[in-house]
Amino acid sequence: MPKVKFFATLREITGKREEIIKGDTVEDVLNTLYREYGEEFRKELRERSMILVNGKNIKHLEGLKTKVREEDTISIFPPAGGG
Amino acid sequence: MYGYHGKIARINLSTGKISVEKIDEDFAKKWLGTRGFGIHTLLKEIDPKVDPLSEGNKIIYSTGPLTGTAAPTGGRYMVITKSPLTGYIAMSNSGGFFGAELKFAGWDYLIVEGKSENPVYISIKDDDIEIKDASHIWGKKVSETERILLEEFGDKHAQIASIGPAGENLVKFSAIMNNGHRAAARGGVGAVMGSKKLKAIIVRGHKKTPLADRQKFISVVKEKINKLKNDPVAGSGLPKYGTAVLVNIINQNGLYPTRNFRSGVFEYAEEQSGEAMAAKYLKKNKPCYACPIGCGRVNVISSVGETEGPEYESLWALGAHLGINDLGSIIEANHICDEMGLDTISTGGTLATAMELYDRGILKQEDLGDAPPLRFGNTEVLHYYIKKIAKREGFGAKLAEGGYRLAESYGYIDAFMGVKKQELPAYDPRGAEGHGLGYATDNRGGDHIKAYMISPEILGYPVKMDPHDISDEKVKMLILFQDLTAVIDAAGLCVFTTFGLVADDYRDMLNAAMGWDLSTEEYLKIGERIWNAEHLFNLKAGLTAEEDTLPKRLTDEPMPEGPNKGHVVRLKEMLPRYYALRGWRDNGEISEEKIKELGLEEYL
Repeated sequence: MPKVKFFATLREITGKREEIIKGDTVEDVLNTLYREYGEEFRKELRERSMILVNGKNIKHLEGLKTKVREEDTISIFPPAGGG
Repeated sequence: MYGYHGKIARINLSTGKISVEKIDEDFAKKWLGTRGFGIHTLLKEIDPKVDPLSEGNKIIYSTGPLTGTAAPTGGRYMVITKSPLTGYIAMSNSGGFFGAELKFAGWDYLIVEGKSENPVYISIKDDDIEIKDASHIWGKKVSETERILLEEFGDKHAQIASIGPAGENLVKFSAIMNNGHRAAARGGVGAVMGSKKLKAIIVRGHKKTPLADRQKFISVVKEKINKLKNDPVAGSGLPKYGTAVLVNIINQNGLYPTRNFRSGVFEYAEEQSGEAMAAKYLKKNKPCYACPIGCGRVNVISSVGETEGPEYESLWALGAHLGINDLGSIIEANHICDEMGLDTISTGGTLATAMELYDRGILKQEDLGDAPPLRFGNTEVLHYYIKKIAKREGFGAKLAEGGYRLAESYGYIDAFMGVKKQELPAYDPRGAEGHGLGYATDNRGGDHIKAYMISPEILGYPVKMDPHDISDEKVKMLILFQDLTAVIDAAGLCVFTTFGLVADDYRDMLNAAMGWDLSTEEYLKIGERIWNAEHLFNLKAGLTAEEDTLPKRLTDEPMPEGPNKGHVVRLKEMLPRYYALRGWRDNGEISEEKIKELGLEEYL
């Protein structure tokens, strides 16, 4: 099962840095997370969040339909910037 | 004329003469402010080939039309001069409160020229400008300088821009500091002050910026502030974690430069991330003048007590870039850089160059004597060499010349990771190729802030672009970012507003302040004019297309690991298209048509 890494405010919501979540696609994993952590978690991801699979942004893969395997790492960030 | 006081001061440190000059609306419409005023002055008044540390160089401290107004982040000022580090233009800006105060005093900008025999500072009380003796503060650190000057001045609301020992000792990457920890850092602007024996400028003012329609301006500004406050990045992400939130983001994306750009993945990133800093050291966030964002960090560490920063860039330069994993030491090192008046990026970059030379056995321990070995990961290096650099003592004297000259002196230029002799910032462009084109073409050399392509390529604003796409669309986005940033800089605002605002928002605020009716395109044309004028100055200073390049490591050596494994920056494929889309010749010179279109004939 893929490993999910949380960052910034998502750590405060989940109380964790990472978690193993079942799922065949990014969407499956997200749905599980939404069920587990509720509206607060979903709200953080509503706009301008970033989801990486093994460091690659899913926007340049297959979006939410991107397939994930057991050895994969999914990194999820709420909206962030800097410079 | 609104948005400006229409008044500038010329201060000659050789003769002691101070004169007042006027600027008019046509001039303001051509150059807008800060970088625009600065490049106009440099092109008109100095020999581009002048020695930057000689009497012939000039240094301009400029506000923009929105500096000192209620516009969000409207507190910035810009220092423009010829850089002793690059030999080309330096335009370094800073937040805090100095810029706004300079505007309150009624000055759009100051031109400081000549060179004093003895240490001096400039004291400005509204219309009154005096050159005063600074021998009692020469040699003092930044906090001490600020404390003494404030006491002498007798008004605790005065604001100070000063140099530390590094600027006095002409360190090629010394900064100008204000409010203790805010820096106009890059390009060695502090050394230019040092060469003129100018320790500081202290200013206090009581004037309001004239506005075309104050009520309308306030209502436009309120709308933009709300936009920023409701923005998930500007309104909550940046205030909460500061810029250091990027450590994990950039590392997970595989472009966090590690050990002098040998890798894009740092194994200790988590331990020195924004999240880690917030958990362990953060006391509160701290905004600059009129800023609704408040990205500044007030941290507490046992060795120095309360301090500010480090920002993402500094954290990286003094951490991952050197392979150092000790957040407390990094925070303290950042504090020392601020006190000494050093650019943290180039300080880290120069040490990284030295470490690579040491690692390869080119720089030997016998060159260092008893000083700590310049080994990657050696925390001992940080505090020791930073102080030595600022004072130009021992091996510090060699480091004070910057990474390029250090690598050159050892005959191994590939150890230097920079552009136009300036050290690169915290993104490995093998993971964001448009950003790499930005590094190569930046008017002030290795730099990220004059066209922050990380925004579209990694963070996804205003649109998400593939970091490895190098199509014309990407090149055009870079050009737009360069021109728009010039507008935001010239207006006197902070580029972090771009996380919540778009080009039209700046147009709205500027038009409301000045009573103008310019379109967004017309403002971008001013940005384009500024960019081209700066490039023109560099060409006159001797720039050739050969220097619009990147270190060989980034173009020839594939990234060894992580999500960008196997990638290089395909600069050669992008650069000719960049020149063409800019309306420049194949050799990077500006075409006659473009010069004419931008009204730059008088500067040739």
